[in-house]
Amino acid sequence: MEFLIGNFAELTITGLVLGSVYALVALGYTLVYGVLQLINFAHSEVFMWGTYAVVWVLTLLGASGTSSLAGAAGYLAIALVAAVLMSGGVALIVERFAYRRLVRQNAPKYIILISAIGASFVLSEIMGLRDKIAGFLGLQGVLGDYVNNPRNTSTLPVEIKPEPVLQIGNYMVRDTELLIIISALIMMFVLDQFIRRTSFGRQIRAVAQDPEAASLMGANSTNVVRLTFLIGGVMAGVAATLYMIKVGATGFNVGFVLGVKAFTAAVLGGIGNLRGALLGGLILGIAENYASGILGSEWRDVTAFVLLVLVLLVRPSGLLGESLGRARA
Amino acid sequence: MRAIKASQLLVVGVASALVLSACAAPADTTEGGSGSTESFSIAYQGPLTGADAKYGEYAKAGIEIALADYAAAYPDGPTVTAIYSDSQGDPAQAPALAADLINNADVLGVVGPAFSGETEATEPAYSEAGLVTVSPSATRVSLSEQGWSTFFRVVANDGAQAPAAAKLLTDVVGAKTVFVIDDASAYGVGLGDGIKDALGDKVIGSDSVEKGSTTDFSATVTKVTASGAEAVYYAGYATDAGLIQKQLTAAGFEGTYASGDGSLESTFIETAGEASEGAYLTAAAGAAGDDFVAKWDALTVSDKGSIGVYSTEAYDAAWVILSGIGEGNTTREDVLAWVAGYDAEGITKHIKFADNGEIDGAGGVYYYLVKDGDFEAPVAID
Amino acid sequence: MSESEDILLELEAVTIKFGGVVALDDVSMTIKKGEILGLIGPNGAGKTTCFNVITGVYAATSGTISLDGKSLAKRKRYQITKLGIARTFQNIRLFPSMSALDNVLVGADVHSKVGLLRALFRTPYFRRVEPENKRRAVELLELVGVGAQPDEISVNLSYGDQRRLEIARALATNPKLICLDEPAAGFNPAEKLRLMDLIRQIRDLGFTVLVVEHDMKLVMGVCDRIVVLEFGRKIAEGTPSEIQKNPAVIAAYLGTEEADDDAA
Ligand SMILES: Nc1ncnc2c1ncn2[C@@H]1O[C@H](COP(=O)(O)OP(=O)(O)O)[C@@H](O)[C@H]1O
Ligand SMILES: [Mg+2]
Repeated sequence: MEFLIGNFAELTITGLVLGSVYALVALGYTLVYGVLQLINFAHSEVFMWGTYAVVWVLTLLGASGTSSLAGAAGYLAIALVAAVLMSGGVALIVERFAYRRLVRQNAPKYIILISAIGASFVLSEIMGLRDKIAGFLGLQGVLGDYVNNPRNTSTLPVEIKPEPVLQIGNYMVRDTELLIIISALIMMFVLDQFIRRTSFGRQIRAVAQDPEAASLMGANSTNVVRLTFLIGGVMAGVAATLYMIKVGATGFNVGFVLGVKAFTAAVLGGIGNLRGALLGGLILGIAENYASGILGSEWRDVTAFVLLVLVLLVRPSGLLGESLGRARA
Repeated sequence: MRAIKASQLLVVGVASALVLSACAAPADTTEGGSGSTESFSIAYQGPLTGADAKYGEYAKAGIEIALADYAAAYPDGPTVTAIYSDSQGDPAQAPALAADLINNADVLGVVGPAFSGETEATEPAYSEAGLVTVSPSATRVSLSEQGWSTFFRVVANDGAQAPAAAKLLTDVVGAKTVFVIDDASAYGVGLGDGIKDALGDKVIGSDSVEKGSTTDFSATVTKVTASGAEAVYYAGYATDAGLIQKQLTAAGFEGTYASGDGSLESTFIETAGEASEGAYLTAAAGAAGDDFVAKWDALTVSDKGSIGVYSTEAYDAAWVILSGIGEGNTTREDVLAWVAGYDAEGITKHIKFADNGEIDGAGGVYYYLVKDGDFEAPVAID
Repeated sequence: MSESEDILLELEAVTIKFGGVVALDDVSMTIKKGEILGLIGPNGAGKTTCFNVITGVYAATSGTISLDGKSLAKRKRYQITKLGIARTFQNIRLFPSMSALDNVLVGADVHSKVGLLRALFRTPYFRRVEPENKRRAVELLELVGVGAQPDEISVNLSYGDQRRLEIARALATNPKLICLDEPAAGFNPAEKLRLMDLIRQIRDLGFTVLVVEHDMKLVMGVCDRIVVLEFGRKIAEGTPSEIQKNPAVIAAYLGTEEADDDAA
């Protein structure tokens, strides 16, 4: 407890950093749930593919050595574009092959759920077996570095060295931490505005609230669903870039743990609710840090889920409830 | 298969003179007749893929060299091939793979299991089946206390590594305060606890992080920096070890970072990046000699692994079993008895097992310093 | 001008079955451009089902439906809306947590080809269409009498305003035909009078109207022609005065309800 008080600023800020990544990934879960009332279990892999896009594009550009955050800004901007394209593209593929036919035929939810879980395994194993796949295609020679040792950790070719920039309490906030928190907040703000103010956001909300009435008012629900997956993928791509700046390493199975946490964050904040995803992510990140601080790091996962259960006992629809989806029957 | 073997024979026959004499067969050599039509297997159980795949690669180098030496030393012995069984080092995946090996009547001995956790998960089955296992790298102390008749290891346990690691931190590094972190695995907890015991009141704080459950260690980092520790020891595996060191350095930690044999592979340096400079890694394993490297260079098999920590121990473990087969022990029972009674010079140390499967009179413990992005040659701690 | 040019919507021998229930049985009817057609019948006669099959919610078991000579078979709901049919619902189906204005704008979005890229990059087209849609939506809110509260969340509107908002939303899709399913349900006499004015106004703006209603005074007062359904079958068709005298219609309603009553 004394430790928590003595290091309050540091634990809070580093918790916010992790929570920002949770929140951006949580958006993907919440958006798809809001529109389809389904959990997209393959979303964690959408994120994982984004992290690889960052590694690959920097390898392609020949980045190496160490650099300050500002020094690597050019590389990171390109990596961001690559990750967004990759994650957005993978999200569209998931929608097309794991969801569209089943949703159109009104398949029972559990069938679509299984289909998504299957997609998650396939996406993760394609990454984990990419050397073999390249081999089948006869591309192993060309792709070399990009596909070798597919099940090992892949590291960012340029190492980003964080620098202290801002004193908060007794903690010097690093530039990377500041970038991650601010980027996440900006993305959330932009998305919130997009959903609230643009005609596309209107259509997404309409389909979320009453798909049949929306289609009778001329909304093309297939397009709306596709758009929803795309936006979730774009957010996951941003999350992947920020994650790589912070962690600097990824693997074909990194999606799982992060996905579970992000999904927890989405439920905590109220699944289907965009602002809830942000709130849930940040709270979860901070709570994990506090619990690790007070009880020991092996308690972080336990704490995350105890917190979730407690919140759901008091507020069954999460902290902010479902707003994108049906606010009432 | 035959063609490869023949060429191996030629090359290896010359290069391996020294080791051959060192591993000379026991006195009462009874020629096993012409068993050349027979064929058997030895198996390796350990991580060939996943975060710890490097250990499998390193072990493979030792096993392949041992196979080549076997073919040269016992030209008339049965044909022996290696089966590589990929547990990913995961105690959850290992039992099914062990069952496959047990059901394969050709398998006379196992080099492995590589990690302590998977050993705990599979040794009861091996023991029941009477299939001998000789681990090059499972170091948790308690493994030899379970009464498993088939458990042997050619590596000193963490009971030796822990005090040596503590000594490294206090005497070589000169740290007055140490923060100890373990990864909650069978190996990590055992090693971490041993180091805490050895360090006594120099331990200024400790934490436990779940292996593979996160990539963000900020709470742990805060604890370390808040404690003011001069050194950190991480008892766990390479990827997490690298991430923790990187995040510690980013948070301004300027003390010494050390970890154990679980992190002694290139993934650690790749993951930690520049932060890994000056890190110490301890292991009850020394370097491969020039002869060993020369033999490895001469191997012509397509996938011969690479040399790293425990390559030489894997060689010794494989050789203990292979020489038994070469001497005409072609049932599991006979091979088990052969291993239990083994008494000869190995390339890492003299190999003779106590009743509990521990190596009698262990070799030294070494530290490896990271410099210029690579591990420097090991230095004995003492 | 030949008769077929006057016809906007045509149902030919439409049958729709739900398991054993025949909800519409061989129904044929036409709606002429610019008219107000009433569709009446006792509860369960198949009026809502008729709306559902016209708007593509259900596919007809047999028979054809065409708008302006174009068959509606195989078209998706949103395509039928684009083609020019809009509706309201017997049970209110607004987007509950959206503002009144946003509800109408969803309808207005039908004809503005705002693709994702246009929205993301705010092209000139997007910047022209969006304010234009908004202006029209406000006009429609004023037309139906909800103009005072454009930003109110739709669930918070009064019951009557919600019903009228549904009409505005349907009109926003700029339909050729607007189908109103019991628009006066739950209205008091004053509200009903204003609704009759609104329906006439809508027709005068150039829309064709199909209205299901139980209130006979309203139906007789506003409709040009009336079609009567009973047990899924069309039993009569004609002007209000013809229908009032039709013995089959009188028999159908006898005992089920008074001519003036509005049993919902
Ligand atoms: N989706 C459906 N499934 C089964 N039966 C239905 C369905 N929709 C309508 N029906 C039946 O069709 C008949 C006509 O219903 P409806 O069109 O709602 O009547 P109205 O609107 O004239 O009161 C009723 O018997 C009703 O139970
Ligand atoms: Mg009805």
